[in-house]
Parts: sequence; C-alpha cells; structure tokens
Amino acid sequence: MECYSEQIVSIFVDGELAVEEARRLRDHLATCRHCGQLLDALRVENRVLSESLQELSEERASPTGFPRLPWSLAWRDVAVVAAVLALASSVAAWINKLSIPEALQWLNPFSLSGGTNLIFNLSYYLAHGGTAMLRDYAAVVGERFLLLLLAGSGLLLGRRWWLRQPGLRLLIVLLALSLPGFALERRHSELVTVAANETVDDTLLASGKIVRVEGVVNGDLLAFGGSLEVRGTVKGDLVSFAKRTVVSGTVEGNIYNFSHSLDLDGQLGHSIYALVQSLRVNDRGHVGGGMVVAAGDVSLEGEVNRSATMFAGNADVSGSIGRELSMTGDSLALTNTSRIGGSLSARVHELKNVHIADGATIVGTRDIQVRVRRSHFARPRFYFYKAIWLAAAMLVGWLGLVLFPGFFRASTHAVGSGWRSLGLGVGVLAGVPVAIVVTAITLVGIPASLMLLAVYLAAIYLAKIWVGAFLGQLLLKPTGATKSDWLLGLLVGLLILTIVEFIPYLGGLVRLGVVCLGLGAFAWQLYRDFTISNNDLKKAS
Amino acid sequence: MDTKRNVKGSQPREGKATQMEGADLESVIARAQGHDAEALGEIYRLYVRRVFGLCRYMLDSRESAEDATSEVFLKLQRSIESYDGSIPFARWLLRVAGNQCIDALRRRKRGRQEIVEVEEGVAVIEAASSDPSPLGAVLSTEERAQVRDAVARLPETYRVPLVLRYYGELSYDEIAQQLGLQRNYVAALIFRGKQELRRKLGHRSK
Repeated sequence: MECYSEQIVSIFVDGELAVEEARRLRDHLATCRHCGQLLDALRVENRVLSESLQELSEERASPTGFPRLPWSLAWRDVAVVAAVLALASSVAAWINKLSIPEALQWLNPFSLSGGTNLIFNLSYYLAHGGTAMLRDYAAVVGERFLLLLLAGSGLLLGRRWWLRQPGLRLLIVLLALSLPGFALERRHSELVTVAANETVDDTLLASGKIVRVEGVVNGDLLAFGGSLEVRGTVKGDLVSFAKRTVVSGTVEGNIYNFSHSLDLDGQLGHSIYALVQSLRVNDRGHVGGGMVVAAGDVSLEGEVNRSATMFAGNADVSGSIGRELSMTGDSLALTNTSRIGGSLSARVHELKNVHIADGATIVGTRDIQVRVRRSHFARPRFYFYKAIWLAAAMLVGWLGLVLFPGFFRASTHAVGSGWRSLGLGVGVLAGVPVAIVVTAITLVGIPASLMLLAVYLAAIYLAKIWVGAFLGQLLLKPTGATKSDWLLGLLVGLLILTIVEFIPYLGGLVRLGVVCLGLGAFAWQLYRDFTISNNDLKKAS
Repeated sequence: MDTKRNVKGSQPREGKATQMEGADLESVIARAQGHDAEALGEIYRLYVRRVFGLCRYMLDSRESAEDATSEVFLKLQRSIESYDGSIPFARWLLRVAGNQCIDALRRRKRGRQEIVEVEEGVAVIEAASSDPSPLGAVLSTEERAQVRDAVARLPETYRVPLVLRYYGELSYDEIAQQLGLQRNYVAALIFRGKQELRRKLGHRSK
C-alpha cells in the first residue's frame, strides 16, 4: 500500500485527521516502517515546537498592566451612573413637563453675555462654597431621586453584566446624600407665595413665574422661576435660579445666585456668591459677610462687612466695604461716599477706566495694575505658555495611550473618516450643552450634568490631541504602529495645528473644525466600543 | 491540561498556576464573573505571561503585544461572563487573546490579505520531504531560543496559525474560525509553516 504524505501524517500527529482516515493510517503504520519513523519525527518536532514556544523569552508583560483594570472599572461606573442619572432626569423633566425657563437661557454657553466666562466663574464659584450648595441640592431632590434610583438599580440588576460593585457603592452614597431631602416642602405654581403670617418649617423648594416670600422660611429656600422676591425672612440659605431676584427682607444664611439680576435691599447674614448679569446692593442693603461675584455690572451702594471680590465689566462702589476690595474687569468707579476698610486691588485694561473720587476712603494700600493687551508674539511668556501647553498635551496623549491604548489609537483613526467625524462633532458640540442645561434644570440631574460637563470639556481638550495625532500620522506615514510613532505624529500634528491657529480668521475656523473632528471621532469611537464589546461577547460565547 | 503541562515544563512559567488547584481556579473564575476586581487581578497574575507570550508571537512589536494583552484583560471584565467551563480556562483565554491579536493584525493591515494571499491550491503537497526534521533532537536552551526566534521571523501567514496551534493549543477548527479560513487551508498553512521553520533553522545551523 502506498505511503501517506507527510502532510497527512502531520495532521494525524496534530490529532486533527478525520476518524475514518485516522483509523486507516493507524493500520498502515502497523506495517510501514518508513511512515512510523516519519510519525515519530513529527511527534518530536511538535513537542520541541511546543516546548520552545511555551518557554517564554525573557520579556515580560509590563508590570503596570494591572492597575488599568480598576481605572476602567471606575470609568465605566461613572459612565453607567451618569447615564442612569441623565436618563432619570430626562424622564423627570418629561413628567414635570419642564421646559427651560427663560431665566436659565443665559447659562447656555452659546449665549454668554456680559463677557462673563461661564466655565471660569463656575469653577471659581464651586471653589468658594458652591459645593455646599450642591450638597443641598442632593438633599433636596431626595424623594424623587430615591424612586428613580430604585428603578435604576432594578434595571441594572436586570442586566447583571452592567452592574459593578463600585457603581452600586456610588449609587448608595448618592442615595445617602439625598436622604435629608425628605424634610422638604415643594411648591409649584404660577404664583408661589409664603404669606406674611405664614411660617415654613422645612426647606422650601419653590418654582413658579413669581415666587414671593413675605413670611418666614425656617430652612433654606431654593427658588426657580421668573422672579423671586424675599420680603420676609429666610433663616437658612437662599439658592436662586430665578431670572430676577430681589431681597428686601432678611436672609440669615448665604445667597447663592445664578440669575440675570440680583438686588439686595435688605439684610443678609452671611455672604453672596453670585454669577449674574447685574448685581446691586442698595443703600439699605447690608451684607454681613463678604461677596464673591462674577457679573456684568456691579453696583454697591450699601454695606459689605468683609471683603469683596469681583469679576465685573463695570463696578461702581458708593457704599462701604469692611475689608479688601479686589476687582478684575473693565472699569471701576469709587465715589466720594465710598469707604474701603482694607486695601484696594484692581486689574483693568486701561487706567482711564478707574475713577477714584477724592473723597473716597481707602484705609489700606492701592494697587492698580493695567493689563495691556500687547500682541501675543511680543511676549516671551506667550511662547513659554505655549511650550507648556504643548508639553501638557503630549503628556496627556502619552497617558491616554498608556491607559487606554486601543481607544486612543482607534479615536485617532476615526478622525480619518472626515465628514462623518465632522458632522457628528458639530452635533455633539452643540447638543451636549443643551443636554447639560436640560439635565441641570430638572434638579435631579445636577450631579449628572456636572459629570457630563466634565466629560464634555475633557473631550474638547482631547479633540486636538486626536486630530493632531492623526495629522501627524498622515504626514509621517510611520511604518510601524508603536507608541513612539504615535507620539511623534502627535508632536508634529500639534505643532502644525498650533501654528495654523495663529492665522487670523482662518485660525479660528481651523480650531472649531479641529474640535468638531475630534469630538466626532470620540463620539463615534465610544459608540463603536460599545457595539464591539457586545460583538466580542457574542463571539466568545 | 494546563496544570499538567506546567508540571512538565522545564521552568515554572506561572509560579502560582502550578499551585492553584482546579477548584481554586474555578472559584476565582466564579468571583471574577461577579466582577470581583481582586479575582480579575488574580487571573491577570496567573495568565498574563501566557497571554502576553501569545500576543508577542503573533504581533510584530513588544508594544503592540503589550497593548493587545492589556486589551484582552480589559475586555475580560465583560467577556469572562461568557466562559461556561466547557473547555479549560487557559485555552478559552488564549482563544480570546488570539481573536484580539487577529483583530489587531487586521486593523493594521486593513483586512487580512496577508493571511489569504497564499494561493489556495495547497491541497496536494509532495510526500515526505527528503530533508529530515531538524527539530528532531532534544534541544538545548539556546536552541529553543533559536526556534522561537525562527518562529518570530516567519511570515505572518504561517506564524499566526502555527502559534495558535502550538502555543495557544487551539484546534484546526478554532483557528479556521478565527482566521475566517477553510479548515483544510489552515492545515496546509500549519504544515507549510513547519517546513519553512525547518528551512530557516536548517540554514542557520549550516
């Protein structure tokens, strides 16, 4: 009988020959010495090959590998929780048929007025006591939050593979934070009034076109709506999102104010933290603490016991400030009647915009600095900052590549899809702020909207990195796909983008285009990652 | 299977794996399926070198192998739920890793031309070649390193199926499924790969 080919014997040795053929081969082997020797040789070869391969070379996987796991777990948790919160709050919005009140339109970053920089001010605001307000919010929304959380947890449990223990912990923490909110009274109508002879013992959440407090609120007052008037007394803090806020009565705590205008005629026990278009403290107004304000116009006729910090277009001071006044902005005027118990420091663009009347009293020093707008290119500092910026971007790129190698590479790659990324990016760029405002407005969603805001800002920052890396790869056409190739590409791309952005007019367009492209690639890659993971699951099972 | 080979291997590759009893491993896997980060970490420690080895053989640079390895373990958080115990865990994990590497190769090559380029007419291959297998002897450590080196220098077409078979211990069918090729074709590629390997090592020793 004719001998078998080496390939057939090799397949037999691998144990992959069909049963029937294997039986025949075995019969043949019993009689054929030549094939027997071949079989033995091939067996030895397989063994040698296996053993050689199994005996790993000196190389080891990077020891830093594992810490990536908890990171990604945490990120996914944040994503899951954010998604649940966003969903929950949009449902809540739908239930309440809330629409964005006009009063909050100015929070929209696309309609910023008065030259106030929302992001900057918001971070400043949060750093100066805003977090306490967030806790209050978390408390206030307790009841509804609890229900939604229970429903959300139920959903999560239903899809077990989505449930991560840290996620559960986070939910529990949020839940715990929101529990105090049960001591809450809510009032919602066109006209919400707390009558003069009425006392509200709990925290009051009021929303309506007009909210008027003539009586006493023993807790905090949270108000949303067109106009808020406090003629009576609020013993706690006042948190206002109303378009127009007038306090002619007494607020014993702090005022946290996000609105178009804030007028203080009455007494305030502690401080004002405000992000407003116009702020006015009338001559009868008294602030027991200090004030931290970002506003288009500030008019201070009354009295502030401690120091005042203002970021303002125009600031007029005719009242008194117990300690320092520091002001950054366009113009500052101190009248004869004004009195500053500490030092004055002002940062303005032109000296002629600072008017200090002769009769004005300033106990401490005067420090007025003019920030001249010279051409960027004339200042060495500018190049220094640009270099730092570039180094930071490279560092972020490198970190991203180390922590999320697949995602960063794929996002870079996704930039290449051009119009799809651009189109998607425009949508994301315009859509997310709306989503943030809608989420925030439903109260439930304030933590969620902050998270969304953080992701949005991070993505805008990262956009340039992805586009830069893509551009660099396009130009350098690296043969390999190593980290250093990617980073070199990033450096080249970022340099080009940085230079192009200096071109007048075109530079701005390029910057916008880059952000859109990068955001689009990011969104697309997020979407793909989810679908791919699901496919992998199917493939593996 | 895994435990047995670990004992047999000349060097302990995963110190702990040799000590870990089947039942222990099962419980670790079960905990990992419940998203226990510690258990996932344990699995990582046990198998990272195996997985990295596979990726290292299949991909051309250490960095891409590291990337692929971390991807495998990142995705493991989810994919481990689909592990049903019907095959040994190590083999299942290497199958997943093989998939990851093939995906990476495809992404880079924009398709799998590299693997399909060899003409399909490989069904008939001449009988036993005259040159005896140079891998037939018991090899020293250095010679084993030469074998690894030769494997690394094989064209991707041969290297990938060869590594999946003799390192990942996947069956022809599994390899065929991963590469999207016919089973017969995979058999031919493996056979030819071994021939090519012999040729390379033959040249070297001369």
